[in-house]
Amino acid sequence: MQIWRVNAREQSLKQEPVPEGWDRLGGRGLLARVLLDEVPATCDPLGRHNRLVVTPGLLVGHMLSSCDRVSFGGKSPMTRGVKEANAGGSTGLQMTHLGIKALIIEDQPADPDRAGASWWVLHLSLAGARFEPADDLAGVGVFDTAARLLTQYGDKVAIALIGPAGELGLTAAGIQNLDKDKVPSRIAARGGLGAVMGSKRLKAIVFDAKGGQKPPIADPGAFKQAQKLFTKNLMDHPQTAVYRDFGTPAMTRICDGFGGLPTRNFSSGRFEGVERISGETLREVLLTRGGESEPTHACMAGCTIQCSNTFGGEDGAAIVSPIEYETVGLMGSNLGIDSLDMIARMNREVNDLGLDTIDMGAALGVAAEAGLMAFGDGARALALLAEVRKGTPLGRILGHGAAMTGRVLGVRRVPTVKGQAMSAYEPRAIKGTGVTYVTSPQGADHTAGNTVRAKVDHLDPKVQAALSRTAQISMAGYDTLGACIFAGFGFAVAPEVIPHLLNARYGWSVGGEILQELGRETLKLEREFNRRAGFTAADDRIPEWMREEALPPCNSVFDVAEEDLDGVFNW
Amino acid sequence: MQVHLHTTLQRRTPEGLQRRVEIALPPVSTLADLLERLAIPPDREAILLVINGRTADPGQALNEGDEIHLIPAISGGAPSDRNPPGISSA
Repeated sequence: MQIWRVNAREQSLKQEPVPEGWDRLGGRGLLARVLLDEVPATCDPLGRHNRLVVTPGLLVGHMLSSCDRVSFGGKSPMTRGVKEANAGGSTGLQMTHLGIKALIIEDQPADPDRAGASWWVLHLSLAGARFEPADDLAGVGVFDTAARLLTQYGDKVAIALIGPAGELGLTAAGIQNLDKDKVPSRIAARGGLGAVMGSKRLKAIVFDAKGGQKPPIADPGAFKQAQKLFTKNLMDHPQTAVYRDFGTPAMTRICDGFGGLPTRNFSSGRFEGVERISGETLREVLLTRGGESEPTHACMAGCTIQCSNTFGGEDGAAIVSPIEYETVGLMGSNLGIDSLDMIARMNREVNDLGLDTIDMGAALGVAAEAGLMAFGDGARALALLAEVRKGTPLGRILGHGAAMTGRVLGVRRVPTVKGQAMSAYEPRAIKGTGVTYVTSPQGADHTAGNTVRAKVDHLDPKVQAALSRTAQISMAGYDTLGACIFAGFGFAVAPEVIPHLLNARYGWSVGGEILQELGRETLKLEREFNRRAGFTAADDRIPEWMREEALPPCNSVFDVAEEDLDGVFNW
Repeated sequence: MQVHLHTTLQRRTPEGLQRRVEIALPPVSTLADLLERLAIPPDREAILLVINGRTADPGQALNEGDEIHLIPAISGGAPSDRNPPGISSA
């Protein structure tokens, strides 16, 4: 495996051996290491000193179920701190087949912001790197762009691409990847990495692994044995059946039951229309509609969970794939919208623009509170999204996410930490996830350590910091392995599978605590980057209104002690 | 009391899938009694019990007007490094 270093100004590629100290890491952990070693923490996130780094996790490349995720990262233009966002799909797999341990994109063309500056497609294959002109793709949506690139480069390639939002430098812009069916819907969505890619004037990166091969395995017999046990544990786990049938939208009624489903700009934790947008209803609708609709769908080749779905309209024709719980929460209940069809249409539009549905849903909620739309008015929400496509000042404000929208529109009830929107777990009702929002180096992000499944009283402030710490360490570990969080169900049954897989793959002799060791190291590196960027404990705080305004129906505030927040990383 | 049945616990009835049932129990009943009535095994590891928005134990007494959520197949028990909690997400 090698480090591929691309210079976007010189349009050159250097293939380098993996430096010592980087070889033990992958995914999110390697990303943090590269950023700390190479990116000045105080740099302009959209300037020439920031780098866009793409790293498959340590276990990527073997179609191990739910373990082919790829991490994208850089300094975030949204949080202005460390950023990692990962995605499924085919990008990670193809990168490893090209022998790429990390792709580091440096610099940017001279004067990238001048009118008419060129756009490029970066094409990577065993023959090296090519920059191909892509001005014809400027302003083109994600779906059309992907279709045109697949026609041009063949349907065997993996693609990471941005939409119009990334081109405009909007800080809610993500980077999209093809799923196993070539749909560009696996999104490294959070924290504005699409804007970082746009600042390098890259519309897309094409990975063509033709002629490549799987990464080497030091002990194939042991790997196969560990893989077999892991797959069995995952298949046998009852949670796998729930996610296969209902996907992440199973969480809609669960969060509502806890009084933690964000509703009308985080003003209530319960939504009267929950039954119409629940995972149970979604499954019924998709089974009834048939056609391209499917309640069970794999985003990565080889996944045995298949938690994804394809939402078809009344004629069965696909509108969007997948609808996830986060989108249902932020663009449904949070906007007072109780129609899955409307949520699907908004989801498709946001995907095509190349934006993060979480931050956009939160931004629209804030806009509704400011009076720009009525809660429940999906047509108006779509009209506001059309402003983003037109690039109007209002559209650009929204496309910078909830924090910017709140600042410009004078709304104080803005659900963000470090400038990034909370996802669909109300921190006043699911307080452990609230601790994660507040303390994660990534900004508010449930994937950094969600505690909703722990069997604790989610309203008790005293137990939440320890709970969040454990979850954050595990998640940073899984993100470093390239494991989907749902792979965790299988790993939790027999945690020794993780060292067995790593030792067989790399010829290492790591022990039973490797997941936690990788997690702690990753968090330490990320926190150090943020410290250098100027972050202090003052940045690890919940918005003040969430400590003071009680959330119905549990009438709770976020009351985890500040000393508990400051102690989360004292392990 | 109102009982919300989640995902795989929904009941198949001639009218279609049922996910909310009204149940009357004798006074001084517990959550375990309710599970027995619904023929759901009280496996603490396989089901999450929520009363009025709070996680509950099978021994918890029930009151008139309680809102109960029965959520199947929730993984992870007491938080520990070997049994990570909080695995759920988009």
